[in-house]
Amino acid sequence: MTADPILSVAGAVGGYGGADILHGIDLTVGRREIVGVIGPNGAGKSTVLKAIFGLIRLRQGSIRFEDQDIAGWPPNRIVRCGIGYVPQVDNVFREMTVQENLEMGAFLRREGLEAALERVYVLFPDLVEKRRKPAGSLSGGQRQMVAFGRALMLDPQLLLLDEPTAGLSPRYCEQIFQIIRDVRAAGVAVLLVEQHAKQALAFSDRAYVLASGRNRAEGSGADLLADREIAQMFLGG
Amino acid sequence: MDLLSFLNFYLVPGIVLGSIYALGAIGITLVFGVLRFAHLAHGDMATMGAFLVLALVAGTGMNPWLALPFAMIATAGIAVGLHWLFYEHLRRRSAILTVIASLGVALMLRAIVQVVWGVDSLTYVGGIVRPESYFGIRIKDREFWTLAATVVLVVALMLFLGYTRWGKAMRAMSDNPDLAQLSGIDTRLTTILTWTIIGLLGAAAGFFLGINTELKSLMGWYMLLPMFAAAILGGVGRVEGAVLGGMIIGIAEECSVIFLPSEYKSALAFAVLLIMLALRPTGLLRGKVL
Repeated sequence: MTADPILSVAGAVGGYGGADILHGIDLTVGRREIVGVIGPNGAGKSTVLKAIFGLIRLRQGSIRFEDQDIAGWPPNRIVRCGIGYVPQVDNVFREMTVQENLEMGAFLRREGLEAALERVYVLFPDLVEKRRKPAGSLSGGQRQMVAFGRALMLDPQLLLLDEPTAGLSPRYCEQIFQIIRDVRAAGVAVLLVEQHAKQALAFSDRAYVLASGRNRAEGSGADLLADREIAQMFLGG
Repeated sequence: MDLLSFLNFYLVPGIVLGSIYALGAIGITLVFGVLRFAHLAHGDMATMGAFLVLALVAGTGMNPWLALPFAMIATAGIAVGLHWLFYEHLRRRSAILTVIASLGVALMLRAIVQVVWGVDSLTYVGGIVRPESYFGIRIKDREFWTLAATVVLVVALMLFLGYTRWGKAMRAMSDNPDLAQLSGIDTRLTTILTWTIIGLLGAAAGFFLGINTELKSLMGWYMLLPMFAAAILGGVGRVEGAVLGGMIIGIAEECSVIFLPSEYKSALAFAVLLIMLALRPTGLLRGKVL
């Protein structure tokens, strides 16, 4: 648990249609904290992120962000209150240029667009020379940078990342993890779901292990990595 | 046949017809791209726009070209109204339901036109118009203004889509609707804006067809197939593709008379549509696959 969490999910129950995938999940994210969520396929990892971002309605439980209960809010209202979300797939506007992708991330922003673009380009200097290129023409890693950049355009306090390294080569994975550290250094808390459990634990401040829609374990990344039972059950021995 | 006769009898009428198809195809491609269904009422919406100009001309005696902007605005209102009354309720259902609903809307619009204005052919202004000759190329005033107005409307739309916040939002929604919503784009307002543009351009297409030929209650329905063929030929979801597709179909239809009996003119669009879907379903400019 975190003393002064920016986000706290308590007793979350819900899923798609009639079937529940989450059966009472609790989690918290502190300010400037990187929190990982790992677990086997079907554990409900991505579903938790979707529930936080209003893409799935919870049947029970609460989601508090800062001092507001945001459960049941639509995504465009959640974006406005300071949460950014990077989906696992289809996370760029392929036909639009890199710069237009970033501008769309700032759709709700009436002023300060130039300054926000500048901040994103400082964080991802590789994107500067590609800014007039369609996002669909970029490599997987660069596309992920565009997706991160788009989600950062409204200066969120919390970024939700759904398997940001899925399908990327090891070289790009390391680059993405470095970007996540840079994002945190810029003052943003990060909640990420990861398939690469060992890597995720190694670099998260804290992590949750989920299985079958329930909390199984929680602790610092290093503690969970050292736990033999967790290692056997979820990290492949 | 010499070059001048080819230009005067086939190419100029082809380009005029092509620009009418282009305006209609833009509307169809926008519905496909942003709202993701085939809008079968598009032709009848254009007919409604054309007859609204007639109503203004008959009611106030104003010049039809001056009446056009008012009819465009009224048709945009009708398009947004149709969205609210019918299509919005089916948004979460399978797209085929919306397509069939649009067929019902087409029949309703046509019935209104037939009840109010009858089923006979009508014209905006009576009398014979003689074409002006420019270096041997004969072009009527109305043909010139049709082309000019099409260019202005297409350029304005391209600038809007390329450089304004809401224009980019429309492209974003066409590109990836889920991500548009995650980015905080108001997809409801973007949809209404899309219908407004569809109505504006549809009325213009109907009016240009009406002023260059005559007004008939079925004119939009007959235009539907070439407009769809143009949108698919150019690449679904691509405005520049719709313009290119419209021009190709328009010119090809007029030129087909050289080789084929004129009764087969409208079959040409159908042939182009079939060949394109079989050989290159993304269209010339790589649009969406249906």
